Amino acid sequence: MKDSIANNSTASISQARKAVEQLKMEACMDRIKVSKAAADLMAYCEAHIREDPLIVPVPASENPFREKKFFCTIL
Amino acid sequence: MACQGLQKGETLESLKRESETLKKKLEEERNKLNDVELHQVAEKVEALGALSMKTRRVLKGHGNKVLCMDWCKDKRRMVSSSQDGKVIVWDAFTLNKEHGVPLPCTWVLACAYAPSGCAIACGGLDNKCSVVPLSLDKNENLAAKKKSVAMHTNYVSGCTFTSSDMQILTSSGDGTCALWDVESGQLLQSFHGHTADVLSLDLAPSETGNTFVSGGCDMKANVWDMRSGQNIQSFENHESDINCVKYYPSGDAFASASDDATCRFYDLRADREVAVYQKDSIIFGASTCDFSLSGRLLFAGYNDYTINVWDVLKGTRASILFGHENRVSRVRVSPDGTALASASWDSTLRIWA
Repeated sequence: MKDSIANNSTASISQARKAVEQLKMEACMDRIKVSKAAADLMAYCEAHIREDPLIVPVPASENPFREKKFFCTIL
Repeated sequence: MACQGLQKGETLESLKRESETLKKKLEEERNKLNDVELHQVAEKVEALGALSMKTRRVLKGHGNKVLCMDWCKDKRRMVSSSQDGKVIVWDAFTLNKEHGVPLPCTWVLACAYAPSGCAIACGGLDNKCSVVPLSLDKNENLAAKKKSVAMHTNYVSGCTFTSSDMQILTSSGDGTCALWDVESGQLLQSFHGHTADVLSLDLAPSETGNTFVSGGCDMKANVWDMRSGQNIQSFENHESDINCVKYYPSGDAFASASDDATCRFYDLRADREVAVYQKDSIIFGASTCDFSLSGRLLFAGYNDYTINVWDVLKGTRASILFGHENRVSRVRVSPDGTALASASWDSTLRIWA
């Protein structure tokens, strides 16, 4: 009984120590400002939006899902 | 790190206190860089026009809830998996069912198409992820060629091939993610850090290097280094299970969908949440999300049977897609961005364009 209590607390301590190490490592990260991050996200959208067929639709003849014609298979 | 005894002056309480102090410090560091909100910066972006998406195809054939689907790189084939234990490969243009693989387990929670288009992976309540090579011969019994690759100690919730057919990455109810060699079934790397079931994972777009993001029932989204197994970033903003995580096309950000009825957007270089997509009228959990090709739209499937389309930059809802008659379990934009596929508990899949 004493052994299992000891095991439980060693496991919790190990877990707690791992959590502290993980947080220390995360704290060291080089971060950028949200204004810069946002500007880059917007720039990406802007650069690709014209090729986005769900926003700037391509003519129906070029989108196989919008085409009216149906395919038939010969059985 | 082996189980060691206490170091001098260290107790469980002191470690927990140190944890709390570090967490507060982390928040402070993140907040110092929070000089503006994304939607404020996005005010100068042109508003989206009206979106004219509607159902173009309804794929019927599953006998029960469709739980997962994935597109093939050829932009026309799809694989889907269901509670009825079947995996179906479809030609989305013709609605033709090309292959049907019956599996011995029900609740096939995850399925994925191999980059070559020559195989599929699937897994679920059997705690495994198996790879099935696809054959051109319609008469061939595919189930016989199924090969077990991943073995977890609880259900497999998500799977994806990496850059080739040779490796798969899985997420599991056992709280871990794992990288496997398909040929040998060998475990190449395991990822520990979640404290509850992992429900979803997504691989970073190939240009951005070897990382992936995972989300789970511990309400955390973790970013991992595939080579070292290290958890490099962690985000704890949701108030309930994270059901789905998906990278932004540039690889610098990702979105998550949660049972707390919100979707959130995180920038990896700013290391913080930069947007929350929510509305008072949306009270049901979001189970799945995916970006359009440019990253401007976020499609999210909800338990109220709808798909909400969010303007990622402005934070507003751009459209709602109605049609499914039960929960939407998965949404995926096709590889060339021309269509959105959705899978639902109503046993159908729909293609919207």
